[in-house]
Amino acid sequence: MMLSRAARPALRAGVAAAARPATLNATNAANYATLREIEDRLKSIRNIEKITKTMKIVASTKLTRAQRAMTESKTYGQTSNTVFESAETKPLEGEDKKTLIVVCSSDKGLCGGIHSGLSRKIRRTLAEKPNSDLAILGEKCKAQLSRSNGKNIVLSFAGIGKDVPTFADASAIADQITSLPTDYASIQVVYNKFLNAQSYEPVEIEAFSEEAIAASPNFSAFEIEGDALGNLREYALANSIYWGLAEGHACEQSARRNAMDNASKNAGDMINKFQILFNRTRQAVITGELVEIITGAAASEEG
Amino acid sequence: MTAAWKAAGLTYNRYIAVASRVVRRSLKEDKRIAAERRGESELRFAKWQNGKQGEVKNLDAANAANATEAAASS
Repeated sequence: MMLSRAARPALRAGVAAAARPATLNATNAANYATLREIEDRLKSIRNIEKITKTMKIVASTKLTRAQRAMTESKTYGQTSNTVFESAETKPLEGEDKKTLIVVCSSDKGLCGGIHSGLSRKIRRTLAEKPNSDLAILGEKCKAQLSRSNGKNIVLSFAGIGKDVPTFADASAIADQITSLPTDYASIQVVYNKFLNAQSYEPVEIEAFSEEAIAASPNFSAFEIEGDALGNLREYALANSIYWGLAEGHACEQSARRNAMDNASKNAGDMINKFQILFNRTRQAVITGELVEIITGAAASEEG
Repeated sequence: MTAAWKAAGLTYNRYIAVASRVVRRSLKEDKRIAAERRGESELRFAKWQNGKQGEVKNLDAANAANATEAAASS
């Protein structure tokens, strides 16, 4: 009994002493800390805004170059496709032959959902035709598709998207694809089509196999000697890949510009919000301090 | 008739790459620098088997190796 009674007040006092200054300190510290915290966050958001703004400007300047490259490359692709159009070439309808899908993405991110859009389209196509093989250009789609469809990948290329794609890139890729051991019925080049500065759509262009070209209804209208057909096929594949790469690149730059524009806008909004919060908190702290001083002064006058 | 470059094991794309390189190199100095940047390619590639990525190799070197191999076998 004695012990417990003696112990109790001390315990209570200890608890009270521990509790009160702690809460007081906490609110005080919280006030000052939030001010400091808000200031730090404001600073970091300002920095982020600066970065995204710069990236937007970089993307804008790259975009004009990319668009020029795109229109130029389109003529390559379309000219080489005129042959197949006038020959009325159709992809071969054979069940046993495989299709190769060439995916034109790039190595870089921070450009919204254009890579994921491409991956989604590929997954849809693969769900219909699970026998197809994939050749992936660019790290982004490789990372996404290797998780879901790793078994279908036969080739992957990296180093795309640093600059405007060149025809040398495209022809080197086409060479590597034609040297694949499997004989494909058709090759589809899937890329993001540039609809306008805001919207893109993943579409495919066909690059036909030799048999498909030879089997086309109007094939006899052309005079082709010996090996020329194989050469044409290789060249057409390179053209298609170049087209896909260049147009995909333009889309990516445009998407990055938009993404960075949005990011800068959001950062601006956040800066405004935090500025108001910061001012309010600062005022509250000043008011609190004034009240303390005045009450202190009044108390000492009385005494 | 088979063309000489075909007999040497080059693909058509390789052939035009070599041809365009020659043209670029014979341009005048100022134009050559701009044009040669279009001929560069720094791609790397990897072959995949059963969902596993193979060794990453330089694409240009691999294509050149392919060409010499084809030339040796023909």
